[in-house]
Amino acid sequence: MRYNIAGIIVDMNVRFPRLGSQSRDYEYDGERETNVKIRLSEQFYNDRLEENPHLDYEMIEYIWMGSEFYNALIHFNGMLLHSSCIVYENKAYLFSAPCGTGKSTHTQLWLKRFPGSYILNDDKPAIRINNDGTVYAFGTPFSGKTNQNVNKAVPIAGICILERDTTNHIESVTPDDALFNILNQTVRPPQEDCMDMVLQTLDKVLGKVPVYRLYCNMDLEAAEVSYNGMKPDDE
Amino acid sequence: MKTKKGFMLRSVAGRHVVVAVGKASIEFNGLITLNDTGAYIWEKLSNGITYDELLKDMLSDYEVDEKTAREGIDGFLATAREANLLDED
Repeated sequence: MRYNIAGIIVDMNVRFPRLGSQSRDYEYDGERETNVKIRLSEQFYNDRLEENPHLDYEMIEYIWMGSEFYNALIHFNGMLLHSSCIVYENKAYLFSAPCGTGKSTHTQLWLKRFPGSYILNDDKPAIRINNDGTVYAFGTPFSGKTNQNVNKAVPIAGICILERDTTNHIESVTPDDALFNILNQTVRPPQEDCMDMVLQTLDKVLGKVPVYRLYCNMDLEAAEVSYNGMKPDDE
Repeated sequence: MKTKKGFMLRSVAGRHVVVAVGKASIEFNGLITLNDTGAYIWEKLSNGITYDELLKDMLSDYEVDEKTAREGIDGFLATAREANLLDED
């Protein structure tokens, strides 16, 4: 079966219900050529299962098909940002942080505070730069623990590094300040040529997209503070 | 002297950064940022260079006296050695 994920035509042999249902909205039967073919072999499943006895076949498929997709994304002016991505007024806002910081908790506050907002991808949105230099966030079937993702491309208003605090405040950060946090929340391929592509993409993304640091608690006010800090100026 | 295999210097977001690839990335998954002089020295070291050659290059490329150049190089090398980023010969 073929899928259109982040504008990339992916051929995956999906076998299990979890990825099957999550990738349904991405099925593709158009004319475009396949860009990426992903096959996980029986041997591959068995090896991963041996290394990770707490997993099952279904989870292995979900995790490693995703992992193969994000490795491939690097070759298409794209990158993964480990973040929860919310869309409001047709602009995407990505909240990135290490696991357990409260990315999803924060975007859930947006859902409550801003009717009409929705989660594009709750854990692993794809970022790609199109030909005119606009930077888009994409939903993908791979959205971490939750199944919250939508098959859409939305221009990015901002990337926000999230930190916990007792009060809510937000600041702009320079791209070079954000570099360390962002590189820690993406795929860092071991191959030099692939790493090169990641850094080139990141350089372009940081040249276009404003980056912020949000210190926040779990009150509804946090959503308000982050939206007011990040919303694009009226043109 | 030469920088260890598996470290690459690139310019991202207007900053010089060094990241590890290949086997080196298993041990080092951080990020080193360098200023302009640091990047200059790293570039030289990545092709392999002796201390004296490095000093000579620096004196011809920068308008500095020998004492300042030596201090710059020594400081950089001390940090790089401490971080285990150099192969000495």
